[in-house]
Amino acid sequence: MEFSDRMGQWMSGRLLSALVPVLCGFIAVLFSNLPLSFTNGLVPAPLLALVPIYFWCLVRPDLMTPAAVFGIGLLQDIMAGGPPGIWTLSFVVTYAVIERQREAFAGLSGLAAILGFATASLVATACAYATVALYYWHLPPVAPIVAELVVTVLFYIPGVFVTGVVHRRLVGPLRSDF
Amino acid sequence: MANGTWKIARRGNTQLPLVIVLALAVALVLLGKAQANLFDRARTTIIDRLQPVLVVVHTPVVQFDRWIGSIDELFTVYRENLALKDENARLKQWRNVAVVMQDRVKRYQALLHAVPDPDIHSVLTQVIGRANRPFLQTMILDAGSASNVKPGEAVVDARGMIGRIYLTGQHTSWVILLTDLNSRIPVTVAPGNHQAMMVGDNTAMPTLDTMSQTVTLHAGDQVVSSGDGGLLPPGLPVGTVVSQGGQYRVALLSDAASAQDVEILAFRKPPEQLPTDAQSQLPAVAAGLKPAAPPAPASATPAQPAQVAAAHPKPVAPKVAPPAATATPPAPATAPPAETAAPQATSPNSSETSADQTDQDR
Repeated sequence: MEFSDRMGQWMSGRLLSALVPVLCGFIAVLFSNLPLSFTNGLVPAPLLALVPIYFWCLVRPDLMTPAAVFGIGLLQDIMAGGPPGIWTLSFVVTYAVIERQREAFAGLSGLAAILGFATASLVATACAYATVALYYWHLPPVAPIVAELVVTVLFYIPGVFVTGVVHRRLVGPLRSDF
Repeated sequence: MANGTWKIARRGNTQLPLVIVLALAVALVLLGKAQANLFDRARTTIIDRLQPVLVVVHTPVVQFDRWIGSIDELFTVYRENLALKDENARLKQWRNVAVVMQDRVKRYQALLHAVPDPDIHSVLTQVIGRANRPFLQTMILDAGSASNVKPGEAVVDARGMIGRIYLTGQHTSWVILLTDLNSRIPVTVAPGNHQAMMVGDNTAMPTLDTMSQTVTLHAGDQVVSSGDGGLLPPGLPVGTVVSQGGQYRVALLSDAASAQDVEILAFRKPPEQLPTDAQSQLPAVAAGLKPAAPPAPASATPAQPAQVAAAHPKPVAPKVAPPAATATPPAPATAPPAETAAPQATSPNSSETSADQTDQDR
């Protein structure tokens, strides 16, 4: 009985920690897509969901799977209100790029780490821009997507701080059994 | 950063799921292209659930916005005050002119028994959210299908048109702004009543595509909704023409970023009613003569136009003759003018008829 209780607690804790990165992605999507602007609409909302995707893709790729990224992108599409599928595709493509260059991205620190995230954001925004251009069959203005990229990169520093705290408290360090 | 603090997990074998997920994402885009309203229900449901929160949170956000926006105005407040006083004095003069003109128009309408414009029902509501995305510029209103708001209806503020409803939930509705990439509004440019299409491109000033290439617009020309399509009421003020880089754009009168209280105009163009007894009111019939035979088909033999022309009663014949005479001389070529002549001859009368009919209806 005692053994099964301990097993149950361990399993539930493990499940919770496994869900935390995806939940963080969902919360980031909801938070960044709230239809509220503190700057009178001048500054676009950042793609906050890219922070947990980037972070856990490097640190715990077993918890941030392609399917999880697909789900986060889908919610971003639903909430953002643009053409369906644009952000889903962008996030999955960005995940593929990060996953392929994982060793290089994971080795960065300090300013280089921010540049690494900026590269990932550039991939996401460029993919979204190209998809929208194909979708409407004409080039949309570049300025809004550049503004989105800049704001997203600026929000990486507080975003990665929060993500790091969540990782330390809830997810924990790398587990040895995967 | 990550390497300094965090241990790095081994690379998992994610290649296969990644390919599948990538294929699914591409399929989703293609599906979205085929069915653009794929997520509409989910979107409206989420925002409907968030509506009470948005209403509560909106007020402090607006106050904060105003406070931030007013910081730079501190330095220009004196100059702006002088400009506003000057503008106010000029507007008072224009108000007097407008009152006189309004009285005059009322008198003319009474003299002409003019049919009044249809009443447009409207819903006054509040903006509870704004979304400024790279590919979508929208605002969320605190009124939905429960308030009888329907997609396609125009949204205006005190200055002019802001956009139109494109999605309605139970208690909220989404507005596609005139500046949005997906916005296309048929407009009329005055003076000249040039028809054009105002197309948003996510910039502050939408572009203006004129229907005719020969039309020359001028900066400052007024742009109003044309009402084509029957969804938007005609004559809604939209903006003024601006020439920018060899392209015509519209400087909008409304400011979607600062609008708080807006009106949703429930305009439905009534279907056009044909006069019921138009046949009996043709001039020939009214004169007690036999009505004209229907026009001959285009493939008629040369002999038929003459018969058709002969079949016309005498009072109509002189009106038919001049176009036929001015047309090409050969006999077969007279068939189209003879066909077109009948409507020409009857058109003034038919307009009179419809006017009479309208009077009778009243």
